[in-house]
Amino acid sequence: MKRKVGFKTLGCRLNQFETDALASKFVNLGYDVVEDSKDTDVFVVNTCTVTNQSDQKSRYVVNKALNQGHGGMLIITGCMANHHKEQLEKRYPNAYVINNDQKSAIPQLVEAHFNKEIKPSNDHKGGVFSYAPAAETFHTRSMIKIQDGCDNYCTFCIIPKVRGRAVSRSVDDILENIRQVVSFGYKEVVITGVNISRYNDNGTNFSALLKQIVDLDLDFRVRISSIEPDSFDDEFFELLKHPKITPHLHLCLQSASESVLLKMRRMYTYKLYQRIIERLRTIDPLFNITTDIIVGFPEESVADFQQSLDAVNEMQFGHVHTFKYSKREDTRAARMTNVVPEKEKTKRSEELRQVAVDAKIKYRKQFIGKTQQVLIDTVKDGYSKGYGEYYIPVKIAGKLKKNQLYNIQILDMENDSIDPCLRAKIVE
Amino acid sequence: MERFKKMNKQAIIMSKEVPVANKIKTDLHEILDIRYLTDSTFVLRIEKKELDFEAGQHVCVGPPNGIHTREYSIYSAEQDDCLEILVKEVENGLVSPSLKKLQKGGFVVVEEPVGYFTINKNLPANQKYVFIASGTGISPFHSFVLSKPDLNYTLLHGVKYAEEAYEADAFNKEDYVLCTSQESKGDYNGRVTDYLKTNSFGKDAHYYLCGNCNMIHDVYDILEEQGVSTDNIHAEVYF
Repeated sequence: MKRKVGFKTLGCRLNQFETDALASKFVNLGYDVVEDSKDTDVFVVNTCTVTNQSDQKSRYVVNKALNQGHGGMLIITGCMANHHKEQLEKRYPNAYVINNDQKSAIPQLVEAHFNKEIKPSNDHKGGVFSYAPAAETFHTRSMIKIQDGCDNYCTFCIIPKVRGRAVSRSVDDILENIRQVVSFGYKEVVITGVNISRYNDNGTNFSALLKQIVDLDLDFRVRISSIEPDSFDDEFFELLKHPKITPHLHLCLQSASESVLLKMRRMYTYKLYQRIIERLRTIDPLFNITTDIIVGFPEESVADFQQSLDAVNEMQFGHVHTFKYSKREDTRAARMTNVVPEKEKTKRSEELRQVAVDAKIKYRKQFIGKTQQVLIDTVKDGYSKGYGEYYIPVKIAGKLKKNQLYNIQILDMENDSIDPCLRAKIVE
Repeated sequence: MERFKKMNKQAIIMSKEVPVANKIKTDLHEILDIRYLTDSTFVLRIEKKELDFEAGQHVCVGPPNGIHTREYSIYSAEQDDCLEILVKEVENGLVSPSLKKLQKGGFVVVEEPVGYFTINKNLPANQKYVFIASGTGISPFHSFVLSKPDLNYTLLHGVKYAEEAYEADAFNKEDYVLCTSQESKGDYNGRVTDYLKTNSFGKDAHYYLCGNCNMIHDVYDILEEQGVSTDNIHAEVYF
C-alpha cells in the first residue's frame, strides 16, 4: 500500500514553490500526496513567520492535525521553524523541526524515518536551491525559484534572519528548470524568490536573466511575482513589453509616506514608486499593479496613513494586501517606541481594505468587453475559472480543460462585494 | 491524488549542488585598538579576518557575552588590514554602553558586512558626489574617501558642536564643510539642510545621505526643489 504525505503551506510563493517541489519528489518516490493531514503517514507544515498572525496560523495548522488524531510523522518546516526552532521542538517533541536550508532534504529524511534509521538530527544535506523541477504540483503555474534570502534589512522584517543572506541560483539551473517544467506541460512560470530584483549571478542581474528566460525557444508565458521597486533598470522596462511577459507586477509599497518609508528603511521613495507606475502604465494603461501596504507602523501619523489611502486610488491598484504592523522581535522596528495602538491599527486596516476593494472593482471593470487568454486552474459546479494575462480571476460557464489556455471575451463582473470575478465567454 | 496531473515519466534531475544555505556568518573578532574622539564617541579597531567589504556597507557588532548586536557602517578603508567602526554611546542603549566598556585585547561579535549604500561602479570616474552626513553618519563617507582617494566629492557634515568633526583631517579641507548648529566654530553656522538650501551642487551630482531620518527627509525635499532626480539620491538611515 502506498504511503500518503499531506502538505499545508502558509505564506509566500517561495514556500509554495518549495512545497510543490517536495510534493513532486514524493510522487516520484511512490507516495500519494494530499493537501491535508487526514489519514496521512507524513504531514508537512511549511510555515510562515512574517507576522504574529502567520505564527498563530502555523501553530493552528499543527494543533488541528494533532487534535484530529494525526499519529504519523509530523514535519514542521519553513520560516517559523527557523525563527522559533527551540520553542517548536519543546512544544512538539515528536515532530521534526526542519530549517529552510534543509527543507529540500525532507524526502530523504522521511525515507530514513520509514527505513527505521536513527532519527536524523537535521544533518541531511539540503541546500536552498536543491529542489528538483516539479512535475507534480498543487498549482497550475510552475513556480521557479531564482533567489533566496535578503540583504535589505527593512526595519520591520524578520525574513533576513530566517531566510539568511541573499543568494542567487545559477542562470543555467534556472533555464534548465524552465525547460523541464515546460516539457511537463506547464504553460506559465512564476519567477519567485525573497528579493528577486536583487538577483545577481556572477554579474548577471535580474533583467539580464529575464532576457535569457524570454529568449528560450519554448511556448510559455512568464509571470513575475512579488518584487521590490528599488533596482529597476531601463532594460527591465523594455522586457516588460515582451509578449511572453504578463502585464502584472506585485510591487511592494508598504507605505506612501516618505517619512514612514525612511523609518522602514525601504530603499525607494514614494516619488520613485510613482514614476515606476507611470512607466508601467505607459507600456500598458491596464498594467495590473498589486501591492502590500502595512498600516500602523510605529510613528505612523494620521497624515502618513492618509497618504497610503490616497495612494490606493492614485495608483489604481488591482489588489492590495493590507497588513497591520506586527512587531517581530530582533528587528529594528521592535525597538521603536511610539507605537500605534492595536485598536487604531485595526481601524486603519479596515479603512484601507475598503478603499482597496473599491479600487479593485474600479480597476476590474475596465476589462469588460476586452479579450484575454485565460489559463484554467479550476473546474467545478458547471463553471471553469482561471487567470488571464493581467492576473484577474475570470469565470467561464461550462467545463473546460485544466491547464489549458483559452481566448475569452469579458462580458461583465460578478456582484461579489470583495473579490468579484470577471465573467467571460470563449471566443475564437 | 486527484488534483495532480498524471506523472510525467521524464526523468527528474536533482538540481546542481549549491553551498548549504545562506546563513549569516558570525564570528568573534579581537579588539586591536580603541580611539576616543569625544567623551561618548570612539573608534573600535578590530581584527578583519576574512571579511571583505565594499565601502558604505555595514556590519552588526555586539559584545561577546550578549545576545544583542547593532548595525555600524564600516569606518575604515576597503584595503585596510583591520576593520574600524565609529560608535557613539547611546544613553540606556543595549549595545553601545557595553561596547564602551570593552578593552583592547577583548572580543566583539561581528556579522559579515552587508548593504547597498555603495558607490555605483558604472558611474564615470570623474562623477561628482555630494556626501551629506549628520553626526556619526560620517562613517561610510570616511570609508569611501579612504578607499577611493580620487573621488570627486564635497562632504557636508552636520553636527551640534565642532568637537564632533570626527577625524576630519581624513578629508580634503577644500572638500569638507562642517556645519555646526549650536555654535559658530564650524565652516558654517547652522544645520546642514540650511547650508544645502543656499548652496546647490547641480542636477548631475550623485547625493549620498547618511544620518537621522529627519535630516534625510528634509534633504530629499530640498534636492527635489533643486531639480535633482531621486535616481541620483542614495540614503542610509541611522536610528
